[in-house]
Amino acid sequence: MADAVRTESLTKYFGAVVALEALDLSVAPGEVYGFLGPNGAGKTTTIRILLDLVKATSGRALIDGLDSRTASLEIRRRIGYLPAEMPLYREMTGGRYLDFLAALESRPVDLSYRRQLFSRFDVSDVDLRRRLDHLSHGMKRKFGIIQALMGRPALLILDEPTSGLDPLMIEAFAETVHELKTEGRTTIFLSSHVLSEVERLCDRVGIIRRGQLVRETSIADLRRDTPRRLRVFFDGPAPPPPPALARAVRRSDARHWELEWAGPLGGALGAMQGLPVADIEIEPFKLEDYVLQIYSGTAEGGH
Amino acid sequence: MLAALLSRSLARHRALIIAVAALLSAFQILDIVVAYNLQANNVYAQFASLVPAFIQEAMGGVLVGSFPAAIALGFAHPLVVLSLSCVAIYLASEPAGEVEDGLVDLVVARPVPRFLIVTRSALVFVVGSTAIVAAMFITSRITVRSLSPATAAALPALRLGWVAANLLAIVWCFGAAALALASHVRERMRAAGTLELLAVFLYLLQFGAAAWNPLRPFARVSPFHYYEPMRTLLGSTLPAKDIAGLLGASVVMLVLAYVLYAKRDL
Repeated sequence: MADAVRTESLTKYFGAVVALEALDLSVAPGEVYGFLGPNGAGKTTTIRILLDLVKATSGRALIDGLDSRTASLEIRRRIGYLPAEMPLYREMTGGRYLDFLAALESRPVDLSYRRQLFSRFDVSDVDLRRRLDHLSHGMKRKFGIIQALMGRPALLILDEPTSGLDPLMIEAFAETVHELKTEGRTTIFLSSHVLSEVERLCDRVGIIRRGQLVRETSIADLRRDTPRRLRVFFDGPAPPPPPALARAVRRSDARHWELEWAGPLGGALGAMQGLPVADIEIEPFKLEDYVLQIYSGTAEGGH
Repeated sequence: MLAALLSRSLARHRALIIAVAALLSAFQILDIVVAYNLQANNVYAQFASLVPAFIQEAMGGVLVGSFPAAIALGFAHPLVVLSLSCVAIYLASEPAGEVEDGLVDLVVARPVPRFLIVTRSALVFVVGSTAIVAAMFITSRITVRSLSPATAAALPALRLGWVAANLLAIVWCFGAAALALASHVRERMRAAGTLELLAVFLYLLQFGAAAWNPLRPFARVSPFHYYEPMRTLLGSTLPAKDIAGLLGASVVMLVLAYVLYAKRDL
C-alpha cells in the first residue's frame, strides 16, 4: 500500500533562498503525523507543494502514490486543508462561505456531518449569519477547521489548527482527531508549534530545520530514547554513584544526585538497589524539550 | 464549480459595476440633454468651427457639429473610454489580488482546475463591462427617443450598437492584458496600476498622433486607434475589421494568461 504522503528529494528555491533541500518524508495511511519546525523552516512550503499551490524546483511529492504535479486534481479531491492564515471573503457570512467552498468540492458535502461539526465546535445559527469580518479570531479558526473537515477527506493537512482556539475548542479538536484516528480512514498531516498538542495527538513527528528533515520518529520511540531527568534524594549523605550510574550523574551534592538517563528507567532504578534512597523525582517526557534542542541545533538529528 | 466562482466574483464586484454603470448612464443622459438643447438653439455649426481638426480626429471625428455626433461623444469621451477600460482592468486583475490576500489557497486546494480561475476572471470582466455598456446603450436610446423621436429614427440602434461593440472590444483588450499580467504578478495594484497607466499612455499616444504626424506610425499599437465612433454612427464605416483585430489581440493575451497561471506559484 502506498504511503499517504511521501516526498522524495523535494527541493524548492525561491530565487537564491533555499526553502527546502532534498526533503524525504513519509506518512503511512491512517497515521497522525506532526510536522514540526521553527518559523521559516519550510513547513508551509512543503504543504503548499503537496497541494500543488507551489511548484517544486526538483524532487517529487506524492499523495497515495500520485504525483502532486501530474495528478494534482485527483489529489486535491482527497484533501481537506486548513492554512495557518485563514483567508476570508470579509463581506461574506460564515454560512455562505462554507456553502461557497462546499460548491467547489468534487462531491456533495454531507450536511448532517457538517451540522455535527457546528455542534461540536459550538457554531450557532447566529454565528453562521454573521459577517466573517465581525467574527473573533477563534471563531474564524473554527470555520477554518469545519471547512477542512466537512468534505470527509482521506487526507487532512492542518497548519496550526488550534491557534487562537480556547481550551474547550482545543479539546473538541482533539476529540475529532481521536475519532478520525479510531475510524482509521483519515490520514492527518499536522503542523503545529503547540508541542503538547503534537505529543498528545500524533503517532509520529518529522522535525524540519532550514529546509531539511533533521529527525523523523514516532512519539513512542522519542519517549524511549530521550534522556529523562531524575533527582534522587538520600536519607543522610549521598553515596558515590555506582559504576552503572556514574556517567549519568550530571550534578550531585551532599544530599542528592541529578541524573540524565536514556532508555528504560528500570536499569537506573535497578542500579540504585541497596542505596539509602529517600525519594526519586522523575521529570515527565516533554516533546518540547527535545524539539527545542533540535531547533537550536544541540540535539542529534538522523532518521 | 465555474458558476460558484463566477457568482462569488460578480458579487464581490457588484457595487463597482453598478456604480460605474449608473455614472456613465447618467453621463449619457446629460450628454443627450445638452445635445438636444444645442440643437434647439442651432449652435452646432458655430461649435464645430471652434474645435481644431486634430482634436476632432483624435476623438474619432466626434466633434463634428451634429446631434448624432453629440451622442457619439457619450461613447467616446476620454472619461468614458478610460473609466470603462480601468473598470475592466480592475475586474481582470482579481487573480493577483487573490494570491496577495491568500484567498486562492482554499479554492485551489480543492479540486478546482487552475484554468477555471482564469476563465472566471475573463467572464467577470466581459460580463461587467458589457453590463455597463449595455446600460449606457439602453439609457441613450431611451433618452433620445423621449427627447427627439425624429432624430432617434435617423440614428438606428444598429449603428449605435456597432459603436458600443467597438468600445467593448477596446475595453476587453485592456481586460485581457490585465488578466495576463495578473496571472503572473502577486499584487493586484501592480497588475491594475500598470495596465491603467498604460491605457492612459496609449490614449494620449492616439491623441498626440492626431496632432503630430511623426507619432502616427506608433499610434497603431494603441487600441484607441481602432475606434471611430462618429464615422460608425454616421454610417460611413463599419468597424467589423477593427473589432476583429481587437478581439484577436484579446484572445492572444487570454491564452497568455492561461499559460502563465498554469505555471505560477500561488
